[in-house]
Amino acid sequence: MAKRLVVDPITRIEGHLKIEVEIENGKVVDAWSSGTMARGFEALLTGKDPRDAPYVTSRFCGVCYSVHQLASSRALDAAFGAKVPWGGNLIRNLVMGAEYIYDHVLHFYQLSALDYIDIMAVANYTGKDKGLLAVKDKIVGLVKEKDTYPFTPRYEPDEFSVKDPEMVTTAVKHYIDALKMHAKARDMGAIWGGRTPHYQNIIVGGVTSYPDINQVFRFRTMLDEQKKFVEEVYIPDVLAFGTGPLWPLAEMGLGGGHYNYLSYGDFQLDPGGKEMVFPAGVITGLNPADIKVARVDPEKITESVKYAWYKEEEPVHPYNGEQVFDLDKTNAYSFVKAPRYDGKPMEVGPLARMIVAGNPDVLGLVKKGAKPGAVARHAARAIETKLVVDACYTWLDQLLNEMTKPGFKIQDTDHWDPPDSGMGAGFSEPPRGALGHWIKVKDKKIENYQAIVPSTWNASPRDEKGVRGQYEESLIGTPVPDPKNPNNIVRIIRSFDPCLACAVHIIDPNTNEIRKFIIE
Amino acid sequence: MREDVAVEKLLNVVELHGIDRRDFLKYCAATAALFGLSEFEFTTKVAHAVESASKKPAVVWIEGQACAGCTISLTQSLYPPAASIVLDKISLRYHGTVMAAAGYLAEEALDATIKQGGYILIVEGSIPSADDRFWTDAGKPGREIFEAAARKANAILAVGACGSFGGIPRATPSKGIPVSQALKNANINKPVVNISTCPVHPDHLVGAVLYVVVTGKIPELDSKGRPAVYVGEVRVHDNCRRRAHFDAGEFLKDWNDPKQKNWCMLEKGCKGPSSYIDCTVRRWNDGISFCLDCSGVCQACGEPIFYDKVTPLYMAEDETSKRFLAMKKSNSSGQEKS
Repeated sequence: MAKRLVVDPITRIEGHLKIEVEIENGKVVDAWSSGTMARGFEALLTGKDPRDAPYVTSRFCGVCYSVHQLASSRALDAAFGAKVPWGGNLIRNLVMGAEYIYDHVLHFYQLSALDYIDIMAVANYTGKDKGLLAVKDKIVGLVKEKDTYPFTPRYEPDEFSVKDPEMVTTAVKHYIDALKMHAKARDMGAIWGGRTPHYQNIIVGGVTSYPDINQVFRFRTMLDEQKKFVEEVYIPDVLAFGTGPLWPLAEMGLGGGHYNYLSYGDFQLDPGGKEMVFPAGVITGLNPADIKVARVDPEKITESVKYAWYKEEEPVHPYNGEQVFDLDKTNAYSFVKAPRYDGKPMEVGPLARMIVAGNPDVLGLVKKGAKPGAVARHAARAIETKLVVDACYTWLDQLLNEMTKPGFKIQDTDHWDPPDSGMGAGFSEPPRGALGHWIKVKDKKIENYQAIVPSTWNASPRDEKGVRGQYEESLIGTPVPDPKNPNNIVRIIRSFDPCLACAVHIIDPNTNEIRKFIIE
Repeated sequence: MREDVAVEKLLNVVELHGIDRRDFLKYCAATAALFGLSEFEFTTKVAHAVESASKKPAVVWIEGQACAGCTISLTQSLYPPAASIVLDKISLRYHGTVMAAAGYLAEEALDATIKQGGYILIVEGSIPSADDRFWTDAGKPGREIFEAAARKANAILAVGACGSFGGIPRATPSKGIPVSQALKNANINKPVVNISTCPVHPDHLVGAVLYVVVTGKIPELDSKGRPAVYVGEVRVHDNCRRRAHFDAGEFLKDWNDPKQKNWCMLEKGCKGPSSYIDCTVRRWNDGISFCLDCSGVCQACGEPIFYDKVTPLYMAEDETSKRFLAMKKSNSSGQEKS
């Protein structure tokens, strides 16, 4: 007899997410993923000046802020016929680079680490490191005061939880240090972005922020500090956890899913885009011994609404997508649509990017026996953070060279005013994965606006063929020995870095009857 | 406990978070001055708040129709650091993006805190008014969770444009309403502190929370329910370093021209004439920059007119912008007579 388990809300993610699973003999046999909050952005944009879109869509999400500002600006670039000067592209890359560094560090320490450590192990720390002793005193102090919020309540640690006092105490210290480091990374982006969250400088045709030499060197100095943290703290922590106490989870391939991976490619390293930090590509049914990467064809992207609260229609390309809500549709359980590539569900994000890129560090872990899954996702995220840090140095050098040339430009002034009509798509690879925006312009106004965001791919419900989305599939077979403490479920879901405000930028009512945590 | 001993203890806590003592004292002095307290009085009050940690004020942070941008703003605070606020100054009972607990444990933590009552409630995001199904948590309409939490709260802070005035969600099919309106609809008669702007400014948020923690009262509010210390009688436009160029009739037309870099942004859709928040003097991201510094435009995100009355964002089509542009033509000094 299957037991039904609901985890709602899933916390330490962006947004409102509910996960429901069926458990048989201690393992997940079926799963459903649904978001539970919505606003309705696309409807709001219809009829507006197209230049509003980057500013407004930035507000899809304040954690991965401005990734939509960029994708939206790129859609406008295409629809307006604007050509972004290389200087404008470099500044776009640099502010997004800063966003990456902050976002990945935040994800590991603030959003995920507590899933893998028994924080109370700090009480057993016996070393003499002053910094670690201060952490111990703090946590022990909280325990004595009987006020350990927000670290408790928590799921009871399981066999995989790290309990080594020094490792845990170090992780908690880094949790506190990381808060400061990612605030500083956001400050770095604000040099040209204006402020965070929600930059102000990315517009159609380029950027608004004309750089000066002081800013270039200020950015570089701040980047030095980030590089040190990424290389000496973040990556070592992830690898120490992943190849140490969490290695059994890595070998088990906890949270693998469909093994289909998609990357649109992003972050040009030269004006022609011949070299990219993240190359584009698609992989279906990964075979680690023989990885075949196919070219991405955006025409193969469709969205199914069979199990989503929209008026029934056949799967369509996003240019032609509609949002006519049907809140009472039977069998529907999510307002996240089900995007598919060539009819197949895809995983997007750091792991997809690193496998598509053939990154030697990530593939090295796979060769050692780590199956692509939750642990590999954390490793891929840390490893690509370093790639972005290194690329930022390259872009700073290129910017310095570019801005000292006569006729230096950051924006295509000739294509600032909206065209009478046009259409365009904008693609990017923000921290959480493949992102696309599609716009149709008519009479200088937005006629139709669609976005397929990373968490729509990952958090999607079943499609018209009944094929599960990536979160759902990745939960199948997951060991849940104690349904009151479903550590593995939240580990898997959080390893994707869910962003539900993005995924459910449309709407997501919940028509199910009110259900509590049920064990039938 | 003697006050100087308490201060010393506080400074030890501050050092744990890797902060320079002088920086922290400077911060206390600045905040104290803003709220009209003496520096020593403020520092000792904060110290006592730390000292009696087991009685740290409980805080419940609810995210409604939000993007978590205001949560990220909270973590932007370096002086004092976010970790010291969360661990030393408050007892953060519920915050979906921060807390360890998930599912039924998170729900139980919230229920227990509500039952106890007497906490500070912080609401990020709007509440959907078109249909309860636009926001649910733990199988319940978010509106009901919000109302239950509001009924037993000692102080209610609405953060961000969405929570304060409805912001962007107000213009969507879900019809997001601000916290103040949602309270009225539920016949809950309590004052709300609107800490507006999109997202909330970290200083505004931290300052308001500390004020409530230290004094047990809510700060003085302006006519729109915002902490008066952060909202002036002076427009962003009047405090703008580009103001002299407005007076000279110099408007930025080309972002590529370094000569125009500091010219007035009004023709690019700047809503500085409609905005009364202190961004131009406070700036953002630890003083590094703010919207107008990067030649972006102010969209009056801290005012109730945001977003539906400032669109189109990059045009000067609203009445105030048109009036200011026309004034420029008729009055070379650009001063508006009140």
